[in-house]
Amino acid sequence: MPEIRVTPLGAGQDVGRSCILVSIGGKNVMLDCGMHMGFNDDRRFPDFSYITRNGRLTDFLDCVIISHFHLDHCGALPYFSEMVGYDGPIYMTHPTQAICPILLEDYRKIAVDKKGEANFFTSQMIKDCMKKVVAVHLHQTVQVDDELEIKAYYAGHVLGAAMFQIKVGSESVVYTGDYNMTPDRHLGAAWIDKCRPNLLITESTYATTIRDSKRCRERDFLKKVHEAVERGGKVLIPVFALGRAQELCILLETFWERMNLKAPIYFSTGLTEKANHYYKLFITWTNQKIRKTFVQRNMFEFKHIKAFDRAFADNPGPMVIMPGYCVQGTVGHKILSGQRKLEMEGRQVLEVKMQVEYMSFSAHADAKGIMQLVGQAEPESVLLVHGEAKKMEFLKQKIEQEFRVSCYMPANGETVTLPTSPSIPVGISLGLLKREMAQGLLPDAKKPRLLHGTLIMKDSNFRLVSSEQALKELGLAEHQLRFTCRVHLHDPRKEQETAMRVYSHLKSVLKEHCVQHLPDGSVTVESILIQAAAHSEDPGTKVLLVSWTYQDEELGSHLTSLLKKGLPQAAS
Amino acid sequence: MVQNLPSSLSQLLLLFPGVCVAGYESLKKNEILHLLLPLRLSVKENQGLFPERDFKVRHGGFSDTSVFDLKHVLDTRLLVTSGLPGCHLHVWQVTEDSDVIQAVSTIAVQEEEGSLWPRVAIFSSMAPGVLHGARLRGLKVVDLETQKTTYSSGVGDSEELSSLQVLDADTFAFCCASGRLGLVDIRQKWAPSENAGPGPGATARRWCAEVGGRHRGPGPSIASLGSDGQLCLLDPRDLCHPVSSGRCPVSAPSPAPELLRVTWAPGLDDCLAISGFDGTVQVYDATSWDGTGGQVEPVFTHRGHIFLEDNQTDTAPLVTTHTWHPHKPRTLLSAASDASLHVWDWVDRRAAC
Repeated sequence: MPEIRVTPLGAGQDVGRSCILVSIGGKNVMLDCGMHMGFNDDRRFPDFSYITRNGRLTDFLDCVIISHFHLDHCGALPYFSEMVGYDGPIYMTHPTQAICPILLEDYRKIAVDKKGEANFFTSQMIKDCMKKVVAVHLHQTVQVDDELEIKAYYAGHVLGAAMFQIKVGSESVVYTGDYNMTPDRHLGAAWIDKCRPNLLITESTYATTIRDSKRCRERDFLKKVHEAVERGGKVLIPVFALGRAQELCILLETFWERMNLKAPIYFSTGLTEKANHYYKLFITWTNQKIRKTFVQRNMFEFKHIKAFDRAFADNPGPMVIMPGYCVQGTVGHKILSGQRKLEMEGRQVLEVKMQVEYMSFSAHADAKGIMQLVGQAEPESVLLVHGEAKKMEFLKQKIEQEFRVSCYMPANGETVTLPTSPSIPVGISLGLLKREMAQGLLPDAKKPRLLHGTLIMKDSNFRLVSSEQALKELGLAEHQLRFTCRVHLHDPRKEQETAMRVYSHLKSVLKEHCVQHLPDGSVTVESILIQAAAHSEDPGTKVLLVSWTYQDEELGSHLTSLLKKGLPQAAS
Repeated sequence: MVQNLPSSLSQLLLLFPGVCVAGYESLKKNEILHLLLPLRLSVKENQGLFPERDFKVRHGGFSDTSVFDLKHVLDTRLLVTSGLPGCHLHVWQVTEDSDVIQAVSTIAVQEEEGSLWPRVAIFSSMAPGVLHGARLRGLKVVDLETQKTTYSSGVGDSEELSSLQVLDADTFAFCCASGRLGLVDIRQKWAPSENAGPGPGATARRWCAEVGGRHRGPGPSIASLGSDGQLCLLDPRDLCHPVSSGRCPVSAPSPAPELLRVTWAPGLDDCLAISGFDGTVQVYDATSWDGTGGQVEPVFTHRGHIFLEDNQTDTAPLVTTHTWHPHKPRTLLSAASDASLHVWDWVDRRAAC
């Protein structure tokens, strides 16, 4: 039975480490290769032993696909390709290819230089890993090999995030990665066409949540910033320059304009310069509004937002600062965890006296978003990963009822097998079709028609042609098969009379066939020949020789059984 | 906090630690959801460090019928719903080990009423009883487990009911659509202390009412709201003469009198909230009224449902239900016909001066 198999990898039920193995049409694809940010040991990597026991990864896997640059989707990639060992192609979008190495290097620096971890991937490994990357464009069909093709769709969420369709023949799987169904100020919403895949794999981490309204969240954020600024304070907003920075910049700029505020807003240079460069390169990945305004200015050119100069650090008065990204292990991360006392370099202890607000602006699909995407793609089945089965039963039923599809929820390490019924297109030669039609009988939808032909399978192509055509193409000689059957009849008269009786009988019974009495005494029914002969030993018995070709098998058997029943008494 | 849910919501029920909501669409399957309030709302300290603003769907169930009323049976994991068609009440179970709200049983309501749905209230005790009825004559208490009728009004009165409320183990209050109020002791045969309904001068076509909590001090503890915006406060000892009344500045008459709702604040004295006229919820302080029936002003009006809508629809949303948070005195929850759910605080502007 043809089937599609899906196995989410990784140890434990924890979310945050995306790595899914898909087997489709004999091909093996790995979707994402994420790191779990909560662990400091091997548990942060997916459990690759599941696939390594099949032999060398490069031989087993046909390709690896990375959906976007977040570390929980690509963090384990250098470890996987350079330390475990994989030399095959790694597919991702252009922005992901550009930004991934920056994040990986940043993460490596903190893990090794700041935390002193051993057995971590090196800078060189990151470079070597990225050499294996093949970048793809949106909606571009990429042939991985003769049979496997992939296509990327816009996913929203972060710059360069994509959903991927993996297709082998008529079977396909769509993997969403992280996506967002509502557009924000600088990114559009995820979109996919009615591609009707056999299976849609979607992350379900936020599936049981119903999102708070964006306007409410933004209003709260602006209120807090405004209050701090009004009382003369400084506001520090750590945000990744290629992530939410754009979003917040636009939000603040609009607010400042509307409220006629004068307090300066600064962003730190360095990463934002690089960010500008990347936004310019990948402008088609942002939304309409950005693209329109971008013609006039670059991404961080605002009226109220400027580059920060260290000299400003001691300026009195309100300030809003947006520095770079804070990853786990950094001071920023510690403060967000609620720490009020920090040990800095040189044993110096600092007290956190400022007010700390943690506001999440990340964009993920919730239950409503998942339903929307399923409605767009129209898959035959849905698979939810990274959710606890007990907590997802309601969503599963909701999907099953609304879309009449099966919904699966495998645990990490568990394999889901989906039987598929791929349709195999067969081309029928015009000559064969015409010949069949020439028989005169009209096609009847309720009655199957027996058709003789030869199926030629060549170069993944299936053709149905007439036997003569096939023989010609293959350069083979034709052999004719004839069957002969003897039917014994009790009839003391001469052979010619028996033959006459047979002819009359068959003529009356087989009205739709051509029954003829030939001058030599034999009877033909279509191409079947019936000859009457005397029995060698018994003059009272006549032997009917019924012979037919292989093509007339059906009629031949029918005739034989008919004759075996005997002939009606002649009314002479 | 603002949410966008699948279908129009008619009911909000606070089921600690969350809230239950249910839909009342007539043509499709409705959902009953048990949502957990975002962590931000529950923590007292360091609220700023909790980024979680989303509601979590803790449990969900599917109802083939529309749900107009949803009640929780105290000290059990059972819910009772009522809606259209009004010939059955449905009993549901919220389990621990699965997130699906399972349909457990149905309670047949004797009279099939067409477009009327039976009001429901629960007598919680060792053997919980379900009080239900669409009209006075069909008012019954049915034992939840045995489904045997333990009390019946036994009257032939066909007046339509609009509110039912259990006050303690032996008494309940009813309010008819006509404004007629009554308090019933189920230990006796039907003999409610009641009024005949508002006088001929009343312009309201429909009324609903709520009895305030038992811990309150002296003073009126019953509030009744008419579809013309009239709000009356009554003392249970004398239902015939309202203690005070006022006219609320609402667009009257209400476009959906069935959805009228008046509630007493559990944590504040003499504070009421009303909804069902438009897309707002209004909060009133009854002590500030002169009680003569003239116009009264709300101390706060929640307009969020009108201004925060994400989709531009032609019809303005209508608040379908609201409820007070049991622990936070100034927090309310409200739901509207555009499937939005709001959790909001209100500030008494007068206190600032």
